[in-house]
Amino acid sequence: MMRRYRLKVGEREFAIDVQEQTADRYAVSVGGEAYEVTLAEDANPSAVSIAPRPTVALPPSRPAVTAGGKGALTAPMPGVILEVKVKAGDAVERGQPVAVLDAMKMHNTIASPQTGVVAEVLVAAGQTVDHGELILKYRET
Amino acid sequence: MIDQRTLDLLLQGVANVSWQSLVMLAIACVLMYLAIVRDYEPLLLLPIAAGCLLANLPLSPLIAPEGMLRILYDVGVGNELFPLLIFIGIGALTDFGPLLENPRLVLLGAAGQFGIFLTLILALLLGFTQPEAASIGIIGAIDGPTSIYVSGILAPHMLGPITVAAYSYMSLVPIILPPVVRLLTTRRERQIRMPYRSRKISRRTRILFPIVVSVVVGILVPFATPLIGMLMLGNLMKESGVVERLTKASSTEIANTVTLFLGLAIGSTMVGADFLKKETLFILVLGLLAFILDGAAGVLFAKLLNGLSGGKVNPMIGAAGISAFPMAARVVQRMAHEEDFENYLLMHAMGANAAGQVASVVAGGVLLALMGAGG
Repeated sequence: MMRRYRLKVGEREFAIDVQEQTADRYAVSVGGEAYEVTLAEDANPSAVSIAPRPTVALPPSRPAVTAGGKGALTAPMPGVILEVKVKAGDAVERGQPVAVLDAMKMHNTIASPQTGVVAEVLVAAGQTVDHGELILKYRET
Repeated sequence: MIDQRTLDLLLQGVANVSWQSLVMLAIACVLMYLAIVRDYEPLLLLPIAAGCLLANLPLSPLIAPEGMLRILYDVGVGNELFPLLIFIGIGALTDFGPLLENPRLVLLGAAGQFGIFLTLILALLLGFTQPEAASIGIIGAIDGPTSIYVSGILAPHMLGPITVAAYSYMSLVPIILPPVVRLLTTRRERQIRMPYRSRKISRRTRILFPIVVSVVVGILVPFATPLIGMLMLGNLMKESGVVERLTKASSTEIANTVTLFLGLAIGSTMVGADFLKKETLFILVLGLLAFILDGAAGVLFAKLLNGLSGGKVNPMIGAAGISAFPMAARVVQRMAHEEDFENYLLMHAMGANAAGQVASVVAGGVLLALMGAGG
């Protein structure tokens, strides 16, 4: 479940998106900067450890449910990206493997749903992705 | 000077080699080959093969009354301790999340146990006693510890072949299940897409689940209490997250140690004259049949669900309703991927598979109850 908070600290306003990934792990985006947050102690909300993960921005709203919506590939199920086989600028064929996703301890090859050119890869190896999270975007043709 | 008596004493090993023990040594070598070269469930088959080999050497002191293999058998197999300890580890490794996200899948787990009862009837017709037939039927669940548990109570003399069958077929899931699924489904059915609907399961639900299942199953099927209780204990430890050391110990150190002891002890029951009977062959064949029927029942039931839901259920996930967790679910996912690379059935199949794990335990408990075990 995604929650959006608007916080005002002094004069500055922040838009904070919080997505629960597991009971104690959250993906948090503060003004477009993404963080992975681990809850160290449930009863004491002050003791959370925040590790910056500046590589990826969370999708702004709840992403499309089906993989391969127009111009993008999203994670078909929750898991961990083990390998990314393409980079921005690569031409891919429909059906070509672009990433390996470990879900339920099974290695799943994620294949490109369309032929095109990769505009942007939004995940890195080792990253936890939720269902529907963007993996890559295609260049507009 | 060596007299005849000294010679006899020195050569009593050679003198006691029988053709049965030679055949069993050959069988042990085949099992080792399957484990080492073919990678068929090596963690269990290798110790079983070693136990079988050591027990069939002439006059093997290992299976004498104070022999190590006999002690292992008495300590953990005869009284069902080992399969129960392994179940704690399985519970600690099982993620019931996909099942909780889609509780309908529990029906597939139930359907996946149908073959057990069909096989039981067939075994009765072939002249097995009721407890023996029940022990053979449970092979169909492809759930090793449950098979060991049930047959250990009902038909301890058949423990060896039943365990070997259960674990061999477990490793053959990727070979046996796909043709069964293909035979019963059309290409169009296999291509039905089932989008994953992420429904986050709260920590509270995940923690309550093992407790509720233990209580409900324990009240309904008391004979399943040991197995379900240990399975759910492992799961509770995992989901609670407060005893990480115990969870890790159960799913690694304890499970590994017990697997070694269990394999050796089971292997040591496979002794020449007792094993080389036509009944053993029947057990292997009937066990295979039970497995196929279980898978088929799951697929057919999923087809029914598909019809009722207006084409929204891919019948292949029914095949994951047998136990064999998580192998069966992976096989289903792989088949789906081959038919349509954009179809991801894994989470649905895992849900059905986890349901099958619970259902096979319940089926085991029901069989024990029907046979009036425990007295």
